[in-house]
Amino acid sequence: MGRNGEAPQVARMHAINARLKLALGGPKGKSGKRLVDRGRLEAEAVPEVSEKYEISSVPTFLFFKNSQKIDQLDGAHAPELTKKVQRHASSGSFPPSANEHLKEDLNLRLKKLTHAAPCMLFMKGTPQEPRCGFSKQMVEILQKHNIQFSSFDIFSDEEVRQGLKTYSNWPTYPQLYVSGELIGGLDIIKELEASEELDTICPKAPKLEESVDYETFDILEDEEVRQGLKAYSNWPTYPQLYVKGELVGGLDIVKVRPFFIHCPQH
Amino acid sequence: MELSADYLREKLQRDLEAEHVEVEDTTPGRCATSFRVLVVSAKFEGKPLLHRHRLVNASLSEELPHIHAFEQKTLTPDQWAREQQK
Repeated sequence: MGRNGEAPQVARMHAINARLKLALGGPKGKSGKRLVDRGRLEAEAVPEVSEKYEISSVPTFLFFKNSQKIDQLDGAHAPELTKKVQRHASSGSFPPSANEHLKEDLNLRLKKLTHAAPCMLFMKGTPQEPRCGFSKQMVEILQKHNIQFSSFDIFSDEEVRQGLKTYSNWPTYPQLYVSGELIGGLDIIKELEASEELDTICPKAPKLEESVDYETFDILEDEEVRQGLKAYSNWPTYPQLYVKGELVGGLDIVKVRPFFIHCPQH
Repeated sequence: MELSADYLREKLQRDLEAEHVEVEDTTPGRCATSFRVLVVSAKFEGKPLLHRHRLVNASLSEELPHIHAFEQKTLTPDQWAREQQK
């Protein structure tokens, strides 16, 4: 609950508005108008606008530069909003004549992205913080089956978000790719799981419990090591996993991208 | 174009010559228009899942851009018969 017993969504909108005010408190142009400004529309009051921009949920933030829509953010995600405002406010202007060149570049970029790892998941949010129920379920299934995958947050890049739908002729997210080929969305992965085909299609991550030999050091026992190691490896937190004296990472890294191919096995 | 469960059901039935179609409006409890569909059709025989889902997507190509969340299950008549026996 937010202030005065408000629903969480209302509290989030207050936070968004506060962040927007801060992000927009920038320089004014020669005409005296703000270089970065904002407007607000009630989606239901302007159905033709909602339809034009295919608004399917609220709040949705549309970013315009030189009268062209250049970005979009779905949902009340304050840090993401601030990031996008800052990114677009500081970048140069967008050459409208370069469209054909850009389309080719985009397809090449999407080809590279879908091939970026043997198993690629394009999702809303991240595996640690999914921002949609379907993406969350997808991650859970992949993790349950110990499938090794890399992910891309389609909320972080509007160009990829829209471009990939066209590139693969698939209208929704999440999207799972293996060897650069679209396997499908959540429904398909669920059916593959039920028919036990998932394990044959997707690459597995080596299992931790079965094979890794490791020693431990309790950093609570030695304050000098506890603080010294943070500086030595330039890593601020514990636990820390080292293989052959090199830092692999903390829990987040180990969970999402197991490095156990480098670890000593039984 | 009207986005009702009935409308979607009829369209899917027609386009996919379906033996059985169920359409559930899952919008209540979600932030925007959502549907879950089940389609049983002989057209799915011998086709991998992705292909089946693409057939459904093609049938609803006009409507899908206006649907926020869409879940689908595609079965052949045999699979459907087996499922009902469980």
